[in-house]
Formats: sequence, C-alpha cells, structure tokens
Amino acid sequence: MYAYDKYDHALVNARVAEFRDQVDRRVKGELTEEEFRPLRLMNGLYLQLHAYMLRVAVPYGTLSADQMRTLALIARKYDKGYGHFTTRQNIQYNWPKLSDTPDILQELADVEMHAIQTSGNCIRNVTTDQFAGATADEVADPRPYAELIRQWSSFHPEFSFLPRKFKIAITGADIDRAAVKWHDIGLVVKKNDAGEIGFEVLVGGGMGRTPVIAKTIRDFLPEADLLSYLEAILRVYNEQGRRDNKYKARIKILVDAMGADEYARQTEEEWQKIKDLPIDFPAEEAARIKAFFAPPPLQVLSDDVPAVEELAAKNFLFGAWVKNNTNQHKVPGHVNVTISVKPHGGIPGDATAEQMELVAALADEYSQGELRISHEQNLILPHVAKKDLPAIWADLDEAGLGTPNAGLLTDMIACPGLDYCSLANARSIPLAQEIGKRFDDFKRLQDIGPLKIKISGCINSCGHHHAGHIGILGVDRKGEENYQLLLGGSGAEDASKAAILGPGFDENGIIDAVEKVVAVYLGERTDGEEFLATYRRVGPQVFKEAVYGTR
Amino acid sequence: MALVNLTGIQAGDFTVLAEDQTPAEAAAVAVPLSRLQDEGDDFFKVAGPVGAVLATDTNYADLAPLMNKIAFVVIDFPAFGDGRGFSLAVRLRKDVGFKGEIRATGPVIPDQALFLLRAGFDTVEVPDAREAAFKAALKRFDAFYQTDYTGQVSLAHARHSKNQERKAS
Repeated sequence: MYAYDKYDHALVNARVAEFRDQVDRRVKGELTEEEFRPLRLMNGLYLQLHAYMLRVAVPYGTLSADQMRTLALIARKYDKGYGHFTTRQNIQYNWPKLSDTPDILQELADVEMHAIQTSGNCIRNVTTDQFAGATADEVADPRPYAELIRQWSSFHPEFSFLPRKFKIAITGADIDRAAVKWHDIGLVVKKNDAGEIGFEVLVGGGMGRTPVIAKTIRDFLPEADLLSYLEAILRVYNEQGRRDNKYKARIKILVDAMGADEYARQTEEEWQKIKDLPIDFPAEEAARIKAFFAPPPLQVLSDDVPAVEELAAKNFLFGAWVKNNTNQHKVPGHVNVTISVKPHGGIPGDATAEQMELVAALADEYSQGELRISHEQNLILPHVAKKDLPAIWADLDEAGLGTPNAGLLTDMIACPGLDYCSLANARSIPLAQEIGKRFDDFKRLQDIGPLKIKISGCINSCGHHHAGHIGILGVDRKGEENYQLLLGGSGAEDASKAAILGPGFDENGIIDAVEKVVAVYLGERTDGEEFLATYRRVGPQVFKEAVYGTR
Repeated sequence: MALVNLTGIQAGDFTVLAEDQTPAEAAAVAVPLSRLQDEGDDFFKVAGPVGAVLATDTNYADLAPLMNKIAFVVIDFPAFGDGRGFSLAVRLRKDVGFKGEIRATGPVIPDQALFLLRAGFDTVEVPDAREAAFKAALKRFDAFYQTDYTGQVSLAHARHSKNQERKAS
C-alpha cells in the first residue's frame, strides 16, 4: 500500500487546518451558507435531507486494517455507529455535526486519509478493480497509476473548477470490474507487442439522465505519457465543456457534440505541445510508487483443500459462499474474499463500527492487513489462503457478514434514495430490502446465478440502473413513487445501456415484475447461460409479454 | 476594492475605458477585447499602456495578433466556479507567450488564491474585507503535486531532485 511521505502529510494536514478555519468562520457567522457551500463541498461535506453528510475518500478502494479501524472509530464517536460504503469505493457518514468535521478530518489525516475532492466539479477519487494486484487475469496492477493520478489531480491549479464533476476509472484486468466504460475517462492497462505497459484511453462515458458508453480515443498510450495526455483531455474539456446547463456539462455531452474523432484530434494537438514538458512523472517516481504495491510474499499452496471441500459438502451456505464470494488469486492456493455488505433485508453498503472492526481484525490475521472496497459496495479480503476460509466464514457469519450472495440477484447496488438524499424522487433502500426478502432462498438464488440488479432513486442514477442487468429507476409520478424497469445493461467489458421495458410500477408491482423477469429467464435459458446472455439472445419482447401481458 | 499581488510584479494602475470613451493621452487603460480588435494603430499611439479585458470564454488565439500591442490582460470571472479563466491564463503563458501582468477580477474566492497564482495570474482584485483571507490563503501550501507553467515543478520530480523543490522566478 502507498505510504505518505512528508509532503503528502504536510498537504493533508494543511488542508485540515484550512477547513478548521473555514468551519470556525461559518460557525461564527463570518461566512454565509452560500459562501461556505463551495468550501465544504471541496472537503466532501454535503447538506442532505436531514443532516450533513461527509464523504471520505478511500483512494482506489484500497485501505489498511488500521485505516478501517479509524473508519469504525469515526462511525462510533462522531456518527450513529455506522457508515455507508459507496459505488465510488468511498465511505459516507450520514450524521456528523458540522463542528465535529474538522476533528474527523484530522483523525483521517493521522492515518493518511482525507475527504479531498470527494465532491465538487473537480477530479474525483480514481476508482479501480477491487482485486487489483491480486487477480489472475491482470496485465499489471493499476493502483500505482491510480495513485499517480490521485496526486496529480489533487489541488490541480487549472482543473479544480471544471464544468462538472469528473470521474476516472482504471483497470488492468481482462474482466472489467471497475466499469471503466461508464466513466468520464476510462483507462485499460495494456501491453504492446514489445511487452511495454501502456493504456487504452476512453472518454465520454457517464450515467445520469443521458447514459453514454465511453469511446476509445487512443489505443495505446505509453505509460510515461499518462499525465500529460490526461492534462490535454482535461484542458479541452475545461475550455469547451458546457457551463450553461448542469445536465449538459459532463464531458460525455461535449464528446458527443464534437464527435470522438474530433475530441481525439484536439487532445492529440494539445498533447503534442506539452508532452515533452516535465508534466509526466519521472521513471524514478513511478518506480517509487510501484514499490509500495509490490505483491505480498505469498507461499504457493495447493488449490485442493480437503477441509474446505468437506465443509462445503456438509454446509450449503458455506459451499455457496466459497463459490460466489471468492475469486481466484494469482498465487495458487489463495483467493480474494468478497464480504457481502448486502444481507437480505439490510441496507446495501451499510456496515456498523463493530463489523468494520471485525473485518479489520480478519485482515490482520488473514489478508496481510489489507482491505478493499468494491464499486458494488462490498468489502474484500485480498490474498487469503484457501485453507483459512472456514475460520473466516465462521467469524463473518456470526457478525451478519457471511451472506453468500456476491454477484447474485440480491447483491444489489442501491443509492441512498429518498431516505437520505435531497435529490431523490423515490426510496431505493426499502425496495432493495423487499427484494432481499422476496428472494431470501439461497438455493433459488444459486440456481438463478449471476444477475446484477441496480436501483436508483432518481434520474441522476447514482445506483447505476443504466448498467444493471435489471435496472430500477425511481421516479415521481403525480406525487407517488413509481418505479421503471430496465433490462439488459452491463457495467463490464461488454458494457451496454439498459432499456426501459414498459410503464412503471408501484413498490409491490416492481418486485412482482422482477419475479416475472426472472421466471422468463429461467424458462428461456440454455444450459449454463447467464441472465444477460439470455436477454441479449431472446430480446425484450418475451419479457415484455410476461410482465405486461400480451396486448 | 483591494489589489492582492500574487507574484510581486509591478502592478499596473489603470482605468477601465467606458464604451465609446477615447483614452486620455498616455493614460493606462483596460479595454474589452472586442473593441481592441476593431481599433486601429492611432488608438494605441494615443493611449499609454493598453490592456485587454477578457471574458472567460475568450479563445486565447484571438489574443495572438494583439500580443505586441498590449501590456496587460484582465480576465474577468463571472462566477468563481467558471474555471475557464484558469485555462485561459495558462494558454496566455504557455501558447501565446504573454509575459505581462494578468489580473483576475470578479467574484473569485480566497481559496483560489494559489490556483490563480499557479495558473499564471499576477494580481487579483478583491473586496477589502477579503484581502487578509486571500493573503493567508497564499501561504497555506508550499508543495505541489503538479508541474505548472509558472516554473513550479511537481513533487514527483522534486522528490528525486538533489536540490529538492526548484522554484523558478
């Protein structure tokens, strides 16, 4: 993991001091709420329906056990004993007192964390594959590049007041677990024929009310040119992105308006002018940062562990958990464990301070003191020896964290919705809870197989409904909560936009509709065919007829 | 209003020329770019130092033909969040090679002081009540993650340089 040096510490501490001064001026009335707003937003502090919300960055979703313990401490000391892990690999606290927020930021700074640029029209937390550096299907660990981008984008003098927020995601794996094609910039780490590392660069992806899948503007950008090329992309956007309408201000609208080829041309033209200036990190700096992400010294072990197989044969839930919640590590005999934060009937992504502390203790004992957060709002123990799975599962299960549903229908993404958010039109959490209860049969879930439901409580689509195999969008219809059903989206390497199937439903109706959709899939699928493949093969009509009847 | 000097430049003392007003002989005047583009050589002969007032949506390339006629530039922010002003200043330094004073006007906020400095601004006009906050904000950070166009080299370089941070004049 990256460790701060004196410069990183100084910058983060200076930021805390600055924010303490701003809060102090606000509390004394020297700053109006209007003046304070942009300042607090730059530190991740939102004003929501009922209270302030603080969004803390977990850069590229990697954190240490000690950092997780600090997150737990903050939940207990300054909030109501829990936190919410988000689709951007961050954590949100829903009930902090304004006057406490400088102390919270200091607690974070002391363990090399911050809330910088988790909000505002700037470059946000860079996200990546939750299994980065640990998965078998990877060209290279993307996290050193994410850290280089984190530093470059922090307090950028030119790009801190963009037309709109700006999200960069990077993956180094064949399977895209970071949804890079749905980001303002997506980066895919690649090797060229000479074996050199570089990036495929995509721009203009995004969800919101206008979902767009990013387009490739460069097939192979050499590693050493990363930051200057990003600067060129950002300069074109900062100058030409629309500022007259916040719903048309994201880069996707600009790329769409000028065309990806023209965007590529303008980027290239600008990049040629700056690429030889000392904008890019020198090779020594890349080496320094990569050293922090050196693979842990894991012993090669056997993938056949009889104790695991025996317990799996005896205990269906453990067997399902091993099947669904573990991912093959690049070192034989090891796996990456997904800890589901999606208990049936629970709030997707919410974890209590006690749960966070347990996970931190497990990380110390079994995963090299390292943890990850996935964009699907789960926690990950990387680098786990397979033989330790029974002990880990027993501890997790006792704490309500043993749900064996990773990647299955109830592993839903849901935005906070109308329960917390001032933008929402409808509730998301109760719907997710009801779906969890309706599908609370693990044999049935296992039979249904991989299926991603994603729920947003408004058109801003924080719940990624556009990328759901089944997407649900909450809207307001004449004062009533109404839910639209979308099918066929994907956030993976085969990214696609989900399409609305037909008229919306009330809360009970939408859950019935999901049941019908699943029933159609079970009836139509061929051997081993997953939901999305079946939908793509048979098309929407048969689903439409089942849900709405023949007309 | 107070003038905060970010770089220590000899700041210009000028008046903004009203529409249709002709400059007094040898007077330092700031004039909207659109008017400067229409003025002939006589205008520049009569006036003293002439500056261009730019909206944030100005294309930097429009300045190039006037570069040897103008002494300073004023970039007028309509709102503090209009970040085009930062790129425009960068362009003037980097692409046009403008060496004169660049001044920021409009509702910029103290927390932008270092961003303004590092984007290439020399001076910023602020309400008197905010002068102290602007000056304090300038001292908040002394190390930076990015190479910029004012001579600051990124920490990524400074970490490996024998002289530590190099700061250009």
